[in-house]
Amino acid sequence: MACSQENQKHIYKYLDEEMTLLEKKQFEAHIMKCDECHAQLRELRKTVAIIQSASHFEAPKGFTDNVMKQLPKQSKSQTWKN
Amino acid sequence: MDIIVKKIIAEVKKGNQQAFAELMDLYKDKVYHIAYRMLGNVHEAQDVAQEAFLRAYTNIDSYDINRKFSTWLFRIATNLAIDRIRKKKPDFHLEDQVAGTEDLTYYSQISADVDLPEDQVVQLEMQEWIQQEIMELPPKYRAAIILKYLEDLSLKEISEILNLPVATVKTRIHRGREALRKRLRD
Repeated sequence: MACSQENQKHIYKYLDEEMTLLEKKQFEAHIMKCDECHAQLRELRKTVAIIQSASHFEAPKGFTDNVMKQLPKQSKSQTWKN
Repeated sequence: MDIIVKKIIAEVKKGNQQAFAELMDLYKDKVYHIAYRMLGNVHEAQDVAQEAFLRAYTNIDSYDINRKFSTWLFRIATNLAIDRIRKKKPDFHLEDQVAGTEDLTYYSQISADVDLPEDQVVQLEMQEWIQQEIMELPPKYRAAIILKYLEDLSLKEISEILNLPVATVKTRIHRGREALRKRLRD
């Protein structure tokens, strides 16, 4: 838990890189002396890093062909339009 | 990329089905990946991803060519995935999560005759665990977290995909991230 509700917001703003330079400096000074906020920031960073390390999957083989087979046949009105 | 996509879509709008196949090849991996991360199940992910493309094809006339195609497509896919999750019985929520993750194919994607080195096994277990954690998130937070941290999309794009104000997207990312932090700490 962050030391106060206000500081919780600051942690989010800091992580989301939405702070002005001054706010950032003030927050970093706070972090230096507040273990709770420091720990929470560290945990959140770790959480994000873990989630970002999730592998990317590719669509299974034959995916496109499968969908192409299911596409509706071109309608008559479509042909007339052209 | 955008110009190529626009040309392909113009062809699709004229009724060129082959152009749609090209379009699919550009986006199928991302759509499948989003569906997989939302549902945690390869069969359901394939279903939803295929349905998303079928709907994109039949509704291509309603796609506004001046907007980003991927945003429109991801919106269709995300909505389908959320609908699918809602249809599952909430009473069996816990079991669903287990069922949803049991057929993870991290192992099955690797041919059986390959002996995995220890560090790869650890890596696979880690990956499986990440997906389990994602599945523990309520769907509305899950979508925001996936689009933000796995697809690396901007808040504006996510807000368009989820049809929510940017402020709401932010809140969902914050809450989802907080929920994950608490779980990952244990």
